[in-house]
Amino acid sequence: MTGIVIEGVTRSFGTVRAVDGVDLTVGDGEFFTLLGPSGCGKTTLLRMIAGFCELDGGEIRFGQKRIDRLPAHTRDIGMVFQNYAVFPNLTVAGNVAYGLKARRVAAADLARRVDEALALVQLAGYGERWPHQLSGGQLQRVAIARALVIRPQVLLFDEPLSNLDARLRVSMRAEIRELQKSLGITAIYVTHDQEEAMSVSDRIALMQNGKLEQVGAPAEIYRNPASRFAAEFMGTTNLVEARALGRDGADLVSLRPEALRLDAEAPPGWPRIGGSVVHVEILGPITRFDVRLVDGSLLKVAALDEPHRTLAPGAAVMLAYDPARVTVLP
Amino acid sequence: MTLAIPHQQRMPLAIAALGFLFLGLFLLYPLFNVFSASVLDAEGEKFTFANYVKVLGRPFYRAAVTNTLAIGVAATITTTLISVPFAFALARLPVPGKAAILALAAMPLVLPSFVSAYAIVLLLGRAGIVTQWLNSWGIGFGSIYGAGGIVLVYTLTLYPYVLLPTMAGFKAVDVSVEEAAQSLGSSPRRTLWTVTLPIVIPSILAGGLLVFIETLENFGVPFVLAEDLPIFAVEAFKLFIGETAPNPSSAGVLGVLLILTTAAVLLVQRRYLSARRFATGARAAPPTLQVGPGVRVAAAVYCWTIVLLALVPFFAIVVLSFMEFRGPVLHPNFSLENFAILFDRSTRPLLNTLLFATLAAIGVTLVGVPIAYVVTRMRSTMASVLDVIATLPFAVAGTVLAIGFVVSFNSGWLILTGGPLIMVLAYTVRKVPFAVRSSSAILHQIDPSLEEASISLGRSPLQTFGRILVPLMLGGILSGFVLTWVTVASELSATVVLYSGPWRTLTVVMFQALESGGGGVATAAASTLIVVTLLPIALLYRLVQRYELS
Ligand SMILES: Nc1ncnc2c1ncn2[C@@H]1O[C@H](COP(=O)(O)OP(=O)(O)O)[C@@H](O)[C@H]1O
Ligand SMILES: [Mg+2]
Repeated sequence: MTGIVIEGVTRSFGTVRAVDGVDLTVGDGEFFTLLGPSGCGKTTLLRMIAGFCELDGGEIRFGQKRIDRLPAHTRDIGMVFQNYAVFPNLTVAGNVAYGLKARRVAAADLARRVDEALALVQLAGYGERWPHQLSGGQLQRVAIARALVIRPQVLLFDEPLSNLDARLRVSMRAEIRELQKSLGITAIYVTHDQEEAMSVSDRIALMQNGKLEQVGAPAEIYRNPASRFAAEFMGTTNLVEARALGRDGADLVSLRPEALRLDAEAPPGWPRIGGSVVHVEILGPITRFDVRLVDGSLLKVAALDEPHRTLAPGAAVMLAYDPARVTVLP
Repeated sequence: MTLAIPHQQRMPLAIAALGFLFLGLFLLYPLFNVFSASVLDAEGEKFTFANYVKVLGRPFYRAAVTNTLAIGVAATITTTLISVPFAFALARLPVPGKAAILALAAMPLVLPSFVSAYAIVLLLGRAGIVTQWLNSWGIGFGSIYGAGGIVLVYTLTLYPYVLLPTMAGFKAVDVSVEEAAQSLGSSPRRTLWTVTLPIVIPSILAGGLLVFIETLENFGVPFVLAEDLPIFAVEAFKLFIGETAPNPSSAGVLGVLLILTTAAVLLVQRRYLSARRFATGARAAPPTLQVGPGVRVAAAVYCWTIVLLALVPFFAIVVLSFMEFRGPVLHPNFSLENFAILFDRSTRPLLNTLLFATLAAIGVTLVGVPIAYVVTRMRSTMASVLDVIATLPFAVAGTVLAIGFVVSFNSGWLILTGGPLIMVLAYTVRKVPFAVRSSSAILHQIDPSLEEASISLGRSPLQTFGRILVPLMLGGILSGFVLTWVTVASELSATVVLYSGPWRTLTVVMFQALESGGGGVATAAASTLIVVTLLPIALLYRLVQRYELS
């Protein structure tokens, strides 16, 4: 088990700076996520840790040991790929045993460890199956078992769930998180899905254009975004000038839809602003509606369903917001 | 101090270096020597264009150039004309026995074309069986010697080059494109001409181009059928045999011209085809068309006639090899005499053929598969250069490469002439492009993350290559091996330049028997060659079937 230190790591492809001076420290046993839009450099950074991509500058250490010049096959990393990368010419057991054989694990030990790993991902008894007989979810479990069984220092995941259907994604991410925590292996997880990142991570590094935008616990980034990009990427938000909320200054502020309520449903101390309803969506547990303020700006509001609330486009409403949840952006 | 080569690139770089070394020594160096022979004076010292002026100044050699090109164009047109309707019928019409037709149609690609040419002579030549039979009825027909016969044999043996890609093209047309045309009011016939055919044209051209290049490089067919008609590859061979080895300037001139022509054709094709990629992303293969019984019968007769007609010459050779020959004259009595004579003299040619084919197939696999790996997995200028060089042998006639080999390796630090190795190396170089093409096609299908998964699990790149890539490529490697084996076994153009003493092959025996009028031995050698060719193919077919069933 190891912490990971990334210092000043840079990589360009032609004129594209895929990873641009990234500094990061990942704690021992931490579940750390690289989050950002497609093309922001997450995969490149992950592949540099794995040893499949050269660094133009900077260094990477596992604990005290510098690893960025080591050949990939000596780095002791378990990697899970987006497209599973399960070897089609080997059985499930053959796939899981692959890394153990490379490490010359004795035969008796090998069979036991393969069985354990398969049980861990709920595939006990699937050892003799061939990959083409498995579903996508099962293939990804094989890939995870294969990466875990070698007891690597570090686990790397590159969008491991993006090829699965929505329901499976939700249950698998919980499973991955649970496995990682029970084994205590440091993990770096790449995704472009903000919700997935928030649900599994201890900490998140939000990336844009090869640079780190903000690093912190999921709730911290959500509640205190350091930039307009962070505020928007972490979830729906209202970006308005402070003046529109009846505050001083022309600064841009971010106010989450759930920090707004109807006058009647809000605590008395919250500031009020008037406007008219433009659009209403009742989504079941949550009702979303848009309110146009007198100065013309639009506020998105999200509220839990209330059976007696009536809202119709055109109606004049008074809104209240939680002043503690207004984030002033630079 | 260690070289600062990033570890990810060490294996590809090492392979590339070995690839460059091999192709540099056994392809570029011989070609360079052919070129320099063509531009140096008699003493081999001063640069001169005199050789070109001399050779091209003679009407005979100018005729060789125009004849070769004219025959090539004619054969390209005839193969295209018969193959496009054939391909359409196979892809879209209800023709009985499609699988059998396909298997039979691919056979001319592996059977030696000069055997077909020889069969045509035995059947339709001056003393041919059919000719005499027709003469006895008082019917005569034009001579099959010269351009007409050559084009006929090329048509019969090369048509699959157009048929196969064109059929694939017709099948790749997305049915929705045709449906769109018809919903816009286009009749089925007009849709075929205005929508389907234009989409298929790049495939047709790609196939036609292969035919054209094959005709430029072919030595055996014109050698059998051309008689006095000068043809590029044959004249280059004759000039070379007549010249002294150290400075074959005139043969060099023809060789360089031949390479330039093929290279130019290839370049034009690349330009044209890269501008026209009609990828329709076929999701649903187009359905078999509903046609009346008349069209159905006509299509069946057409397809079966072509397929069988192309195989008649080979069948005839096998039958004739069991008949009695007195000199070149045939007598219709059953006899095993021809084979007795052939193998009585020596079984060495047969054994040599088997040995060389095996060694060359191994060599091609060892060189071609790793090069394909570098070419598909490395995105760099170096990889593209290696790709181009590894494709180059495709544009080099066997005769020319062999001349380069003799010039390069008959003196100096590496002497290979007079031995078997020079033949194996020439075969290997000639077939490398096919191995690279077929292996890269498979490698493109294999996701690179499989290799990364293996490496991250602790296997070095080299071990990963052996444990993951080779097993996944095995089917393709095996069929490539068999195809190389088969085509090397019937290789003639480089062989006749390079063979020596005890290292004669079956093709050489046949070649010499033809020169000396020994019809019996020639047919026996030809039949043996046919068996040697078809046996491994049949085995491979069985193997593939069983493999896919399991
Ligand atoms: N091998 C490569 N060659 C050229 N450009 C690349 C390569 N890999 C990544 N890039 C570029 O680097 C940038 C970051 O890519 P990547 O790390 O894959 O992003 P992400 O995983 O966040 O979607 C992109 O602009 C991408 O086009
Ligand atoms: Mg990515």
